[in-house]
Amino acid sequence: MSFNANDLFGVLPAIILSVGALVLLTSEVFLSTARAAALAPRSPGELAPAQTATAPEISRTQPDRRYQAWLAAGVAALGLWAALAQLGDPAIPIFSGAAMSDGFGRVVAATVCGALLLSCLVAFGYLEALRATRGEFYALALFSAAGMCLLAQATDLILVFVSLEVMSLAIYALCAYLRRGKRPAEAAFKYFILGSFASAIFLYGTALGFGATGSTRLADIAAGVRLAATSGGPVGSGGLLFASVALLSAGFAFKVAAVPFHMWVPDVYDGAPAPVTGFMAAGVKAAAFAVLVRILVSGFGDPSSSIGPRGWQQIVIGLAALTMLFGNLLAVPQRSVKRMLAYSSIAHAGYLLVAVAAMGNAPSRPDATQGLLFYLASYGATVIGAFGVVALIERKLAMTGAGDDLSSWAGLSERHPALAAAMSLFMISLAGVPPTAGFMAKLTVFRAAIEADLAPLAIFGVITSVAGLYYYLRVVVYVYMVPEARADAISGGRTLSASIALAGCALIVLWMGVAPGSFATLIQSASATFGR
Amino acid sequence: MPSFALSLVVFLPLAGAVLVMLLPRGEGGQHKGVALVTSLVTLAASLPLWLDFHPAGKYAFEQKAEWAPALGISYHIGLDGVALLLVMLTTFLGPIVILSSWKSIQSRVKEYCVALLVLETAMLGTLAALDLVLFYVFWEAMLIPMYLLIGVWGSERRIYAAVKFFLFTFVGSVLMLLAIFWLWSNSGPAGARTFDYVTILSQGALPAEKQKWLFLAFALAFAIKVPIFPLHTWLPDAHTEAPAAGSILLAGVMLKMGTFGFIRYAMPLFPHAAKEWAPVIGVLGVIGIVYGSFMCMAQTDLKRLIAYSSVAHLGFVMLGLSALTVEAASGAVLQMVNHGISTGALFLMIGYLYERTHTRDLAAYGGLARVAPALAAVFVVITLSSIGLPGTNGFVGEFLILIGTFTARGLGTWQIGSFEFGKGVTLSVIGATGVILGAVYMLWMVQRVFFGPMRKAAQHGVPDLTVREWATVIPLLVAIVWIGAYPQPLLNVIKAPVDDFVQRVARPDGPRVRQLRQRGEAPPRGGEAPIQFLPPAKMAQPQPGLEGR
Repeated sequence: MSFNANDLFGVLPAIILSVGALVLLTSEVFLSTARAAALAPRSPGELAPAQTATAPEISRTQPDRRYQAWLAAGVAALGLWAALAQLGDPAIPIFSGAAMSDGFGRVVAATVCGALLLSCLVAFGYLEALRATRGEFYALALFSAAGMCLLAQATDLILVFVSLEVMSLAIYALCAYLRRGKRPAEAAFKYFILGSFASAIFLYGTALGFGATGSTRLADIAAGVRLAATSGGPVGSGGLLFASVALLSAGFAFKVAAVPFHMWVPDVYDGAPAPVTGFMAAGVKAAAFAVLVRILVSGFGDPSSSIGPRGWQQIVIGLAALTMLFGNLLAVPQRSVKRMLAYSSIAHAGYLLVAVAAMGNAPSRPDATQGLLFYLASYGATVIGAFGVVALIERKLAMTGAGDDLSSWAGLSERHPALAAAMSLFMISLAGVPPTAGFMAKLTVFRAAIEADLAPLAIFGVITSVAGLYYYLRVVVYVYMVPEARADAISGGRTLSASIALAGCALIVLWMGVAPGSFATLIQSASATFGR
Repeated sequence: MPSFALSLVVFLPLAGAVLVMLLPRGEGGQHKGVALVTSLVTLAASLPLWLDFHPAGKYAFEQKAEWAPALGISYHIGLDGVALLLVMLTTFLGPIVILSSWKSIQSRVKEYCVALLVLETAMLGTLAALDLVLFYVFWEAMLIPMYLLIGVWGSERRIYAAVKFFLFTFVGSVLMLLAIFWLWSNSGPAGARTFDYVTILSQGALPAEKQKWLFLAFALAFAIKVPIFPLHTWLPDAHTEAPAAGSILLAGVMLKMGTFGFIRYAMPLFPHAAKEWAPVIGVLGVIGIVYGSFMCMAQTDLKRLIAYSSVAHLGFVMLGLSALTVEAASGAVLQMVNHGISTGALFLMIGYLYERTHTRDLAAYGGLARVAPALAAVFVVITLSSIGLPGTNGFVGEFLILIGTFTARGLGTWQIGSFEFGKGVTLSVIGATGVILGAVYMLWMVQRVFFGPMRKAAQHGVPDLTVREWATVIPLLVAIVWIGAYPQPLLNVIKAPVDDFVQRVARPDGPRVRQLRQRGEAPPRGGEAPIQFLPPAKMAQPQPGLEGR
């Protein structure tokens, strides 16, 4: 592989994030040895937001790490800026074709960086309140985001695997971050085992693809697919390629939480810290969908081939239908808001799969790409907001020791009207009711499905979304209509940065819902990525 | 008249809602005051629309701006006569609703005012929208504030009613959304597609065989909202549990969105299918009339009774729309307004009764006329208008609907044995019994509430109408008498859109024939007139061999 220094500009967001993570880790060395001993403890009651490392400490034993959240958020903002600044540039293959620097990858990178930025702000007060400010949190988050950005750009299955592992290992660790208690350990272990299993399946698919075409590059695989379709390829390569695409899809179906590969989701989402869950739901989903689309469309997208779109489109349609149905149905009986959001994230994976299925037809690819990117961004903003509110509630629960149940949401609107309004907004957006981002996202996706002649799938999808409405509305019912049992305000640590994050999420949700045109214009160059 | 006059009316309430949100929370009337002033300003701003309504084309006060060109959505609004009437009805009811809840709503006043004002903007936007997505956005946006109104400020079973209301209307709407997408994907080549209603309508009717499912998807959304029997079950719950203001807006405006949807979207967009399904809609309308009336007689809850009477009244409207004659359709539009005024007024009065007695149980009432004569008198006048007594507004609408249906020959006939019944005649005869049944249950209710021996509710004394309450009632009474005596201005305004509607749906191939002529091709044999009696399926494709004639 010849190496060109200019190629590094193509992966600028990932580089920024990695460097940021290294800086954070390095700073930790100085912090824990020197500063913790040197700084005298001061009163913990001061509420000024921390800007520097010299701000007052939280406790005697732990050094002050508040600067880390702001630093991480700053790095994420820098990555976001880098991704957006490159948005209009032409698409170029980098690292001799192992990756692409194109609009699609940049939009996904921007989504990931935005999600990271918001999640860092949400996590700030949360970790403090739970006395869990250890040094690695933000570094891990930055590493995983770097993996996600690379994943969205990879066009070589080896690079896909490497970045997949960079992302996943960091996320496994983040899930177990709270250490204490059974649930975080269970969540992380489950996620690790099943995630490794999924990686293995993915590798198996890669190997079969290599066997059939002699390459792991998507471009070479696409050529092999074309050959196999015209019976010009080696004997049996058609069957091998079909097995390969099925296994590759299955590997990522794990990551995006498509039914029947969804078993890990509720436990992991429930056991992981709420800010991490939000980041997972937004970031991992975005990256995994990006690479899934790239493999299916760039590698196996030749419309003339029987193992091309018509083949995998059937798989994706089946997955989408199952995922929408079971995701929504299983969410209905949940009493825990976190578990409900976990199943809802499965359901949303189903709607995203509808967009992927619509990409099977070449003419509807631009609209389907637009739908996918719009959906990923809007779902990201909404779900981080929703888990941000959950994080605030969880802080209180951690204080009082109560379980995570809908009843702890009762009467929220009386004590915290702004928080209640924000949560209701996120729920309405997840349900897909205008004027929110969720509605416009569903609009773009289902429109593409209708265009691709997938009307039955679209009808099935909107009918399952009615079940979705029911459980989202139940949260609104508790927040606004059920009187509270006990009056205890949210306490424990600072809420300023979380408020900024929630306000940001709410603004994005409203902005994308009321003025969808501006975002659609932003991603216009990306929509044409697969338009052939 | 500035080009943004209509936008101003639509978004004034929203601006008021933002203002209310910025006010500090707390006791006192400041929130209601701002809300009242906002709704009065909205009413004032809408008056020029009524006075200056001279549409050059099909729509007056048209405004078109880019909203999301990358998605094919535009901000396109405008009013035809039907929408204008409903807009006026909405702005007219706005201040009344806020005044009526001055005393009864004491908790979370700020949120209440915000919800009411947002609801008003959503309703006005639904009426004004000329872009399908814009329409859908406003249409769904209506649900959220109404859901909160029912769920937060309603009575005992409010949560059940609110969720049921939201789910029912949402189910219908999502399929309509898919139908809208389908229209979009057929509106042109990739890159030039549009959600613009006027453009899509001007492209002419779709092939008849494709219309059926699209029509059913639209019709389901609107039928649930109307509500047409048997999709009405959410209505009694929602009406009964909603606070008085919610009931007034629900009955007064929101149900009209369903019938408005039929006359604006479902039927003109898919004329062949609409014509085919018109008898079914007519039959369901008549069932609604009779069933609703009988259900009314069995109710013991005042609000539930009025809710079922809404089912009956909207059955009349649907009957009028299905007849596809100018008289019946005009009557239907007029009846939409009338029902808004009289049923709105009834819910208003029942709200006042409830404030005084804290019961909706008919059995607890009796003899109220002796202690509150003015209240009783007003109630009786409103009741008479609801029954459709000549001289009140209700009479004009029902009369036009029945006469228009009676003369409707386009609906065809039913054969039973050797007898042949005109569908129009049969439907109108059965529908007419609804007028009698309406008198029965309404007068029965009035008798039990206001006359006879004094019962529990009246024993501790019931204060008569206050000045504030008079202020809400008098405009409604004036409207009742004015429309009853001189409906001509209203009929003038709706004439053009109603003619257009009947033309388009009763002769689904009319515009198509014109289009063929414009393109220089020979129209199908016989011109336009006889075509309407042929089954639409046969007329879908231009018949081969006709060109040579």
